[in-house]
Amino acid sequence: MSFVRFCQWLSETHFSHQLREAPYDFPVLIIIHIITIGLFGGMVVIGNLRVLGRALRSVPVSRVIGQFRPWKWTAFAILLVSGTLLAAADPMEYGFNIMFWISTALLLVAGVNALIFRFGVYRSVAEWENASEAPPAARRWAGVSLFLWIVLVFTGRAIAFF
Amino acid sequence: MFLAHILQAHPEALPLNPIARWEWVFPIVESIHICGFALLVGSIVILDFRLLGICLRGQPVSRIAKELSPWIWAGLALQLTTGPYLFSGDPHEYVQIAAFRNKMLFFALALIFHFTVIRVATRPSDDSAPLGWRRPAAFVSLGLWFCVLLAGLWIGNL
Repeated sequence: MSFVRFCQWLSETHFSHQLREAPYDFPVLIIIHIITIGLFGGMVVIGNLRVLGRALRSVPVSRVIGQFRPWKWTAFAILLVSGTLLAAADPMEYGFNIMFWISTALLLVAGVNALIFRFGVYRSVAEWENASEAPPAARRWAGVSLFLWIVLVFTGRAIAFF
Repeated sequence: MFLAHILQAHPEALPLNPIARWEWVFPIVESIHICGFALLVGSIVILDFRLLGICLRGQPVSRIAKELSPWIWAGLALQLTTGPYLFSGDPHEYVQIAAFRNKMLFFALALIFHFTVIRVATRPSDDSAPLGWRRPAAFVSLGLWFCVLLAGLWIGNL
């Protein structure tokens, strides 16, 4: 089945119809989606700024990252479910929106970046977290992460514009 | 609203405002506004979570507050510049939207609460005291910022 056919089929399902047409489903999903970003996006920002040595300097890196982790995973799960449902509500709109796909691609890059940090330089965090500066590799990943999330806000907002 | 009066007094200036002239300016400034929200409210949420005792427990409250403070101020500076600029694009319209007026009300309340009650709650002298009344205070702070975000979303009619 081609992608166009898939989007057509999905948009004609009862489920997609209901998400799109019901008076509250779509706004409620957007509210959940954006409130989750608003409440937990700060943990991504402050976590990265900690690795860069710009915030919460008195708290060890592993403690900041470790304490934020469960909240960030919770937020990620909520965002993934609400985001998928939002896209499923109008596949003919989102499936052919260039900004939607740029945002999705950036999200994947940000995820890969986080995994590289987590299973790379972060494994030796005990050795460097008390030093005045994190190793260049750690700071590089944190800087890239911060940059990607800022760009994601712009491309995510632009989905509605295109 | 003071700003609305200034802007309404010079209707001939409105078409010269970039945000009213080009349709792409608004989403870009709004994106900066969203980043500012993540910085301002994200930092405050971390502080409130600490006051609730669900985050960064081992660290003294006053130190967390002190180290997050520059980012709270940076976020506030971003919001206080991008917010009024977004407003300047169509001041007549915004003052008539109930959600906008509610947002400004909650924003004022949340800021006042943060710089009075939460400031007292994060005094160094209370670092070794039990969290006590500071837990419900943090809950009120979270509730107020939640209302700011919700009213903000409502301005765009979702």
